Amino acid sequence: MADGSKTKTFIVTRFDPDRHEAPTTETYEVPVRERWKVLDALNYIKDELDPTLSHRWSCRMAVCGSCGMNVNGEPKLTCKTSLAEYGDTVRVEPLANFPVVRDLVVELDGFMDKFRAVKPWIIKAKERAVEEGPHRQSPEELEVFRQFSMCINCMLCYAACPVVANEPEFLGPAAIALGHRYNEDSRDEGARERNRIFRGEGTIFSCSYANECSEVCPKHVDPAAAINQAKFRAVLDWAASFVTSGPREE
Amino acid sequence: MRKLLLQLEPVIWLLFGQGILIGTLLLTGWGLVLGVLLPLGMVPEEALSYDRALRVGGSLLGRLVLLGLAALPLWKEAHHLRSLSIDFGGAERDVWIAPLLYAIAALGSLLALVAVFRIPFPG
Repeated sequence: MADGSKTKTFIVTRFDPDRHEAPTTETYEVPVRERWKVLDALNYIKDELDPTLSHRWSCRMAVCGSCGMNVNGEPKLTCKTSLAEYGDTVRVEPLANFPVVRDLVVELDGFMDKFRAVKPWIIKAKERAVEEGPHRQSPEELEVFRQFSMCINCMLCYAACPVVANEPEFLGPAAIALGHRYNEDSRDEGARERNRIFRGEGTIFSCSYANECSEVCPKHVDPAAAINQAKFRAVLDWAASFVTSGPREE
Repeated sequence: MRKLLLQLEPVIWLLFGQGILIGTLLLTGWGLVLGVLLPLGMVPEEALSYDRALRVGGSLLGRLVLLGLAALPLWKEAHHLRSLSIDFGGAERDVWIAPLLYAIAALGSLLALVAVFRIPFPG
């Protein structure tokens, strides 16, 4: 085309629970410009072709984690995924393993419940008085968990995880990585509490190390590594609990 | 049963993890020596003579190694088969598949323990 754009076909999942029994698809022809991301094409559809399309997005710079969708079957952050990676036809679906609210928008409640379940905050046996000064942490201590704190809650790892697909109660990669991040924080004293949660319903031992979570993670958090480390810590903590205070309630 | 399984998960995972280590590294080497190198005559015959094998296998360390070689890969396979069963849509049947597989691994481990104890002490 004269303006340097090239037409691609987008097959987009549509679902309105008030009108549809099951999801359907709609096809759009989009004049795609060079360097466009998948999100640019979705915004074009929404602005120029079909204002009824619903999709979630915000920052456009891979920070907010809102625009995760399945693109040609793979979970992707659409603001970070270049259309140059795909051929003439691009299939866009809502993230797998989540209930759909409408079109490409998924329900977050279950995911947020799992996040809350791992107590993602610093737990202290006794609150530190202000006059005692700040909790100091060395760069080495920070480095132990820094990678696991880079999660943007985009949920791609849940869409890719075969265990989440089969066992919806499984805590899941992001929540376990987050819990492990706090367990590894030198300022935290809540590891035993979280390890009990890790061994309880939705147990981290359900993870079969498919490693798909780390493959799709756009921030290179490597949740699979966090889960494996967390498993080992949870086992040590379980064994130690027999010595220190007898078998603990699971 | 589900609650019991949940409580036993740390032990099962530990046995599974050690089974991966043993099954991948030691058992492969063992199979290579006994199944390939020995029949091809690439290992000196006296290396695994009865007396020598009895001296190694009959020692305390030898018995422990043999027990590990026989029992731990059973837990690895049981856990892998359980995961496979779940992956093929068997999350609901896991409540009986998992105990069955682990019971087989436990029975095999028990038999391995008996076998290891029955190795005669080297005279």
